[in-house]
Amino acid sequence: MEASRISFGNDIFETYLSVKFELLKHLKRRRLLIVAALAIIVPLIFFVRVPDTAGQFDDEVLTFANILIIISAAMFAGDAISGEFERKTNLILFPTPQRRGTIFAGKYLAAVLATFLVVLLYYVTLTLQTAGLFGWGEIPGELAKSFLVALIYTLAAVSVIYFFSAVLKRTLTSTIVGFLSLVMVLPVLSFILQRVNQEPWFIVTYSANLVTSVLGISGSPFGPGDQGPNIAEFTPKFGIGIAVMIAYAIVFLVAGMLVASRRED
Amino acid sequence: MEYAIRTENLVKKYSNNFTALNGVSLRIKKGEVVGYVGPNGAGKTTTIKILTGLSRPSSGHAYVNDIDVVARPREALRTIGALIEVPGVYDYLTPREMLTYFGRVYRMSGDEIDRRIKESLELVKLSDWEHKKIGTFSTGMLRRLTIAKAILHKPDNLILDEPVLGLDPKGIRDVRELIRQFRNQGMTVFLSSHLLGEVAEVCNTVIFLNKGKVVSSDSVQNIDRSMEQRVVNVRFLKPLSVEETKRLRAIELIKSVEVEDSVARLQYDGKPESSVQILRRLVSSNFEVVSYNVESAGLEDYYVSVMGDEKKEG
Repeated sequence: MEASRISFGNDIFETYLSVKFELLKHLKRRRLLIVAALAIIVPLIFFVRVPDTAGQFDDEVLTFANILIIISAAMFAGDAISGEFERKTNLILFPTPQRRGTIFAGKYLAAVLATFLVVLLYYVTLTLQTAGLFGWGEIPGELAKSFLVALIYTLAAVSVIYFFSAVLKRTLTSTIVGFLSLVMVLPVLSFILQRVNQEPWFIVTYSANLVTSVLGISGSPFGPGDQGPNIAEFTPKFGIGIAVMIAYAIVFLVAGMLVASRRED
Repeated sequence: MEYAIRTENLVKKYSNNFTALNGVSLRIKKGEVVGYVGPNGAGKTTTIKILTGLSRPSSGHAYVNDIDVVARPREALRTIGALIEVPGVYDYLTPREMLTYFGRVYRMSGDEIDRRIKESLELVKLSDWEHKKIGTFSTGMLRRLTIAKAILHKPDNLILDEPVLGLDPKGIRDVRELIRQFRNQGMTVFLSSHLLGEVAEVCNTVIFLNKGKVVSSDSVQNIDRSMEQRVVNVRFLKPLSVEETKRLRAIELIKSVEVEDSVARLQYDGKPESSVQILRRLVSSNFEVVSYNVESAGLEDYYVSVMGDEKKEG
């Protein structure tokens, strides 16, 4: 009992060290700075054409939230594991007194935290913009709900990309495959299903549309979201969408951790 | 007896049916500096990867300070410092940032981390580079930095896999000097290298590995002795005259003499006593001896003899 308590304590401490080290690496590689700048700059672009209501404005700006989450997840998790093996830094990182699982858990959490920060910046910028344009009283209450959905989608997106980082050998391949699966493969699949009148409720990128749909304003005029033109008949249900995102987050994280822990050169 | 490093019948088979290790049992005493040599693909790096927790054995056991590396990796790896192959480094960090993280992993206090970073970087002559980006370092500096990381926590055992690979002569000399210092500090060093001269210079014992099996193991001294030839090379102050060559041939312990300028190659029965007698006779006969060496075939010939028909590779 005592031994397992100590072991658990060690696991927590090692994971904390790994998170800290990963965040330092994201900072030093300026990735965090780049994506954070993107999170602040993108909402500002929408000043070029301001719609009539705060809700419409937020809806427009949030169409880019999902792509920002995917970019951020790819930047922070795309080479989390494959990078250690490809650059051979595993040869100095692993022969140390820490469980490999804690290193990998730390990498995942650091990617999630970094993306959370980016999402937070995006929503803070959007909130300030909305308040500046329409007044504080006009900010839709559903924006908080959308923010929570974005955080949950972050967990799923990071897990999916992290999984490819554990499975694939090259950093470039793992980052691109992870990125494209969320930006292209799953949305295309979702699109095809909707064309044949099937709701793609089990596809995480379809569930991610909750980020905008919770605002209750339909028909975003543009954006790289999952809903292409002429296929607006399905809208993800809140409970199912959240459950699907959580399921993706858990399944891909566990699978990625298992593969990474067994991986040898 | 507690060994610094011990393996029991270590076997490593890969999924493609390749057997990298086929029953390797090693015994390395504390304070020993052991060379681990063999051709490419012999299983040296595989052994080291198992000892450092990077790879799991198919069967058998690996112990460091009597702690099972597979069963209790945390405890085992705390006593090891390792440099494996040519590791990558986080080139966007500074040595201080990288070593601080590893210091925390080894559960060192803040003060201890500060002190050990300074000591380790000083030892590897990188003190002036503590706050510079690692990406600007030369190959030799990178290798010294990874050695600094390996010794940061003052491990009992140091495992070095091809530590001079890819280094220029100065880099090789620097690393060799460091290994000597570790030896003098009483650290156990397990050194895998394909450079036999390197191994002969710094190691007490050599283990020869071929095709996943230990084929020979002995002290460098014993190997040298076993490879001594029945020949003494003598250099004189001046080229020998015909008369002096005759006097040389007249010494009864010498079987034959080959003379070239001021150097004579004397064949004798190979006994150490005879070698001493010959030297005495040369001095008492007023030969001006500059140097007197028993010819040795050396580690390279020993390597070839124990590896059989295997070609010596890098």
